[in-house]
Amino acid sequence: MVMAVLVFGASAAMAQDTIKIGYLAALTGDWAAYGQTELKSAQLAAEEINTRGGVLGKKLEIVPYDFRTRAEDAVNAVRRMIEQDKVLAIIGANGSGINIATAPVVNRAGVSQIGTVSTNPLVTVDNNGKVRPYSFRICFTDPYQGTVLAYLAAKEMGKKKAAILYDVGNEYSQGLREFFMKYFKEYGGQTVSDQGFRGGVDVDFRAQLTEIRNSGADVLVLPNMGKEMALIIKQARELGMKDLLIIGGDGYAEFMWDIAGEAMEGTYWVNHVAPEDPAMQPFFAAYKKKYNDECKEFVNGVLAYDSVYWLADAIGRAGKADRKAIRDALESTTNLHLHHAVLTVDPTDHNPKDKDAVILECKDGKARFFKKIRPQQ
Amino acid sequence: MGTLAQQLINGISLGSVYALIAVGYSLVYSILLFSNFAHGGFLVIGGYICYYTLTALGNNIWVAGGLSLLGAGIAAVLTERIAYKPIRERTNITLYLLIASLGMSIVIENIFVIVAGGRFRALPPVIPTNPVHLFGLTTTSAFDLLSLVVAFVFLTALQLFIVKSKWGLAIRAAAFDLKTAGLMGINVNMLISIVFFVAGVLAAVGGIFLSVRYTLYPQLGGITIKAFVAAVVGGLGSLPGAVVGSLILGLAEMLTAGFISSQLRDLVVFSLLVITLLVKPTGLFGKKPTEKV
Amino acid sequence: MGYIGGIIILLCINAIAVMGVSLLTGFTGIFTLGHAAYMALGAYTAGILTVEHGVHWFLAIMAGGLLAMIVAYLIGIPTLKLMGDYYAIASIGLVESIRLILENWQSVTRGARGYPGIEGFTTLPVAVAFFFVLAIIMVNLINSRYGRAFKACRDDYLAASLLGYNTARYRVLSLAVSGFYCGVAGALLAGFMSFIQPVMFDMMKSTELTSMVVFGGLGSLSGTLLASVIITLVTELFRPISQYRMLIYGGVLVAIMVLRPEGIMGSKELWNLRRKR
Repeated sequence: MVMAVLVFGASAAMAQDTIKIGYLAALTGDWAAYGQTELKSAQLAAEEINTRGGVLGKKLEIVPYDFRTRAEDAVNAVRRMIEQDKVLAIIGANGSGINIATAPVVNRAGVSQIGTVSTNPLVTVDNNGKVRPYSFRICFTDPYQGTVLAYLAAKEMGKKKAAILYDVGNEYSQGLREFFMKYFKEYGGQTVSDQGFRGGVDVDFRAQLTEIRNSGADVLVLPNMGKEMALIIKQARELGMKDLLIIGGDGYAEFMWDIAGEAMEGTYWVNHVAPEDPAMQPFFAAYKKKYNDECKEFVNGVLAYDSVYWLADAIGRAGKADRKAIRDALESTTNLHLHHAVLTVDPTDHNPKDKDAVILECKDGKARFFKKIRPQQ
Repeated sequence: MGTLAQQLINGISLGSVYALIAVGYSLVYSILLFSNFAHGGFLVIGGYICYYTLTALGNNIWVAGGLSLLGAGIAAVLTERIAYKPIRERTNITLYLLIASLGMSIVIENIFVIVAGGRFRALPPVIPTNPVHLFGLTTTSAFDLLSLVVAFVFLTALQLFIVKSKWGLAIRAAAFDLKTAGLMGINVNMLISIVFFVAGVLAAVGGIFLSVRYTLYPQLGGITIKAFVAAVVGGLGSLPGAVVGSLILGLAEMLTAGFISSQLRDLVVFSLLVITLLVKPTGLFGKKPTEKV
Repeated sequence: MGYIGGIIILLCINAIAVMGVSLLTGFTGIFTLGHAAYMALGAYTAGILTVEHGVHWFLAIMAGGLLAMIVAYLIGIPTLKLMGDYYAIASIGLVESIRLILENWQSVTRGARGYPGIEGFTTLPVAVAFFFVLAIIMVNLINSRYGRAFKACRDDYLAASLLGYNTARYRVLSLAVSGFYCGVAGALLAGFMSFIQPVMFDMMKSTELTSMVVFGGLGSLSGTLLASVIITLVTELFRPISQYRMLIYGGVLVAIMVLRPEGIMGSKELWNLRRKR
């Protein structure tokens, strides 16, 4: 016990001559693909920034923790980052449910947390609508994404009857489903089948798909994470559901092709970034060079990469390695030119303003840019 | 009507995969009288060997399948030798075997987490999955039919082995009473190794089908808990019971998910377990554990 | 609160839960893999009572323990008839069922997404106080005539009933008390994490609890406590390389069963060691 205390104490006292940023990533568990890519992208960003002189004259240091796709591990990890490693801010996680769980901890301790792809509104705003001072995000939110999904289904694709298959255990999935259903109705559509499953546990969706087939839906909406969506798509095609249009949200990832193969053709996805975006090519090239691997989870990669740049900029504007000053700088971000977008933060809810949604179409083995949408809310 | 037929087919197909796993599990129970929680590990081993062989040596499913069955069988025997044999030679307490098996299942799963990483791997599509229309009533996938057929073939082979071969006779004797079988001259250690080998092979077949259908990842072995429930419902220690229990379970799951609610699916599974244990703990075909005074 | 303080709180919580399981498995001989369910019941009760009904945390913790105890008692009556491995299997069914109910009863528990925003009432003094009080009660219970009855049930069930012990009654009692302990531990955990999710109380958690008991020695309370301290600390220290941690954990379980199944302390207590027999 004494040894443990000595070890912990020593590591905390070392190195206050770097700028420490905690990184909350799912390195194992169902979200491992997303998390590993995020961490690598963040480390790439930090390296680039350090080569150009670092921040406030010091080197940026990323302190990673694996939350194993489990919220309780995330809460523990965040505590440790804050108190042991004494990080100045935290980037991650990619999941809304995770950041909602860690929000009380970071807000109590006064350490900013930037969610990369955590789109549920409750990440930055609490149940009473009050903004959480230390919770931020770089992505757009689910009400917005739900509108885009509904717009895509009803207006772009002209579908009237939607079926939804969502993950009951995932905040993101529940939220996106609610917003989709609401806006789809406003656009004149009707949700004819509403089915659930347990993410991380269920792998067989034939029962639900059979019901969906029976409901006469002409579009299937999947507000989930990659692995389950790929299995759903694969099983749907196996059940002979070839004509059903399948669309989904930003849980899309390239690894889905490994699982579902050809079944992915003809599916559409709402997302933050298109892989062909010229502004992102230098990043993809640098990633490939450093890691000898395609950045398959490109959304996570891009958003993680830009989160580091955003934070570095905020620290620079704050002028000192102080948690509160950094928070204030994050909140007052206006017209910051990041790689994938221009970022302005709304101080009332900490959400990025006016971000375009990109629609991707799966064609010939890859997701390709289809259209940009910014529907009126 | 179409939906009912579809859900029935879904259920039987799922049940057949459970059957492969449950039978191996029940076989071990019938001899050693303990629940081998590491059984799921053999499944995963089978799946990964098949995957690596397919990617390394080309898409010959027979070679890959053969190797993975062999590999899983050997792994099962090794598990027994390393973890269970030392315990059962020392003591009668099955609790220790149970905990050791729990430990082994964690070890096997995490070896794969470390070596193979958390990513899901899809097996190359060597088993056809195209939709097949049945009697105009319903559509299922060629895969489902294939898994049914394969399960049937392996289970029949097992039955023949047990009924017709010399070692099969030995297994039946040992299932009745291990000590006496030993006294009668049967090489007990060899017998146990054979039983584990068979269990490993069956688990591997199940593992290959599961990984093709659901992608391969280290925690795939978790599905064995359902097979385990099936074995209990059918009667621990009874092989036909394991098959019947598996089919019942597969059907119960699909019918619940289809007609009631997909969330309640697992609840039905575990309720089935609890009800069986309360009403008739020995399951449908199991033997009664006698208490010797 | 401090990181070290947090570890000590976690130690106390685990120790309380594990004492409950130790009573049932180590001292009464009933092998269970389902006690995380009672922790879940305690956690959710305390969480819901404090957040939605403004109940004071002490009462909420007690309510959590009480609810777990009542459920354990009610479940125990029919299921403890099962002998040997069958009860262990039933306990798995129970833990999964309770977890599934919690996941699906969205209106009350918010379902599988988890229940956030619980007040952090489990501070260091609270946790340590609960631990000490409950530990003293447990030691006394084990050394009382109830304790002797429990041990009789464990050592030779048949003989015990022949000798006139109402074995069924004692087994159910033991289960109820262990349910209470786990319920309180769960409630304290809710107040510590400020967030609970049904998946936190799965079979993995139950397995951890039972393993700590076996690791420490069936029939030794001090061994169990020692084991829980060691395992909790190792878990925390190895947090950054968690996949190796699980591998080592599994390996240790196997090694103990193979090499020293009686656990660290066997059935002796730390405080009795010095006495010569």
